Amino acid sequence: MNSIIEMKNVSYRYPVSEDWNIKNASFTIEKGKFTAIIGNNGSGKTTLCNIIRGFIPHFYKGDLEGDVIVDEKKIVEYQLGQLGEKIGYVFQNPFIQVSGVKDTVFDEVAFGLENLGVEENEIIDRVNEILKLIKIEHLREKHPMGLSGGQRQRVALASIIVMNPDILVIDEPTSQLDPIGTEHVFDIIRLMKEQGKTIILVEHKMDLIAEYADNLIVLNNGEIVLQGPVREVFADPRYGEYNIQYPHVTEVALNLQRNGVQLKYVPIRDEELSESISWSGVGEGAYD
Amino acid sequence: MQKNRIQQLHPMTKFFFALLVSAAVLIIPGFIFSFLVFPILLVIATAAGIVKEFFGTVMKALLFLLIIIFFMQLLFYPGDHVMGQWGIFKWTEEGLNYGLTLTSRILAMGSAFILFFRLTEVRDFVKSLEDAGLPPMGAYVVLSTLQIIPEMRRHANTIMDAQKTRGVETEGSMLTRAKAFIPTLTPLILSSISSTEERAITLESRAFSAPTKKTSLHKLTKSTADRILPFVYIIILIGLVLWRILR
Repeated sequence: MNSIIEMKNVSYRYPVSEDWNIKNASFTIEKGKFTAIIGNNGSGKTTLCNIIRGFIPHFYKGDLEGDVIVDEKKIVEYQLGQLGEKIGYVFQNPFIQVSGVKDTVFDEVAFGLENLGVEENEIIDRVNEILKLIKIEHLREKHPMGLSGGQRQRVALASIIVMNPDILVIDEPTSQLDPIGTEHVFDIIRLMKEQGKTIILVEHKMDLIAEYADNLIVLNNGEIVLQGPVREVFADPRYGEYNIQYPHVTEVALNLQRNGVQLKYVPIRDEELSESISWSGVGEGAYD
Repeated sequence: MQKNRIQQLHPMTKFFFALLVSAAVLIIPGFIFSFLVFPILLVIATAAGIVKEFFGTVMKALLFLLIIIFFMQLLFYPGDHVMGQWGIFKWTEEGLNYGLTLTSRILAMGSAFILFFRLTEVRDFVKSLEDAGLPPMGAYVVLSTLQIIPEMRRHANTIMDAQKTRGVETEGSMLTRAKAFIPTLTPLILSSISSTEERAITLESRAFSAPTKKTSLHKLTKSTADRILPFVYIIILIGLVLWRILR
């Protein structure tokens, strides 16, 4: 397995901050894997994304220690402009995530490709394809500043995906979306994964993470407290200590366990619940 | 928007026309020609189908200014041929002449550029400047300003509403409204500054500073008229200069 992102003992603090915002973080992300970063508010998820994307140290100052290696090259050796093609970054606030110079959604999505110097006909083809994929074709002639939060979030995602980066860093892409829109974004992320892209996602919706993600990194106060395959992390008894939400089904199963029901394993997906319960320990009536 | 033939011209063709008009009114002495320019521009505006907007903007932007300038020159320009007197003010023939010349020139130049901006979308004009060598950064600054201003106005309204819900008096007399306006400035300015940072990140994540040559979906085409007209302008200009020297 080849790693595409590697962090070795990375610590960082913002210029005016006294405490370290990220403390001694080390992890490896393999090419083509879907990694979710979770943690409570203020635990350093966005900061970690900024480090991966290279905005730290290229854009934000402050102290960065340790090595960040992207595609076998240290992040400090890249130019910020070069990273644009390699790592796509969709960040949290959808209201500011528009170029501010384009009059239609179509042009807005095309902006990144124009900057990369892609030939015009190819731009038109690629933008059309992405608009269809993200299902925002009906917005193509709308003004980007006149869209709702959810619509803007999808336009922002489209604007990044269209540039076809190898690595996608996505920071809470569904915060403004309804459940259907959220499912849809996860469908797109899964599609991106099938195309072999490496995905790093910050998200609070654990049910969807359990369903789609491969690996999990749990942050607490700037420290990586748990990391590994999703199933192992959720099943880890230490996970409960950090007051982070479980997937609903896991929550239910763990409650049952506390009340004396035997579990064969800790379920993380809805359909696993009945299978995971060791029925031999339950009374006969449960079968009806 | 359906564009007619005049609006379809290349921005530079229209821009050079505004420059030609400005040069012409400076070269030709007196005010008769300069005052003639405005009706000519009105005819062009009619042909382009924007005469109403054009006339309205000229009136709003220039009328007041022209009246003030005219009277200032009329009353205070030094001269010997006194034409009349009212109290301590007296007006002279020189003042009248100079006032008319100055106002006619301002009217001609001002309305020529107003016509230019009425006929040309700023987006097209900036694109033509970019084609002529303006760096993309500069083009971005001009274009984003156009979008940011209405966005900031919306933002200011949101802040005012937020303060209203917290009991700040925002309606009533001029003084009350002025008082309510000042506390909105701090959050407005601060949030604008902080959103600049995010805007920069947005641009960066769209590879704005990628070390390649950019392409553009927005293309400007040059028609035959666009190739011929600049030469016509130059010939007219040379003709005017020669006429002025030889006369």
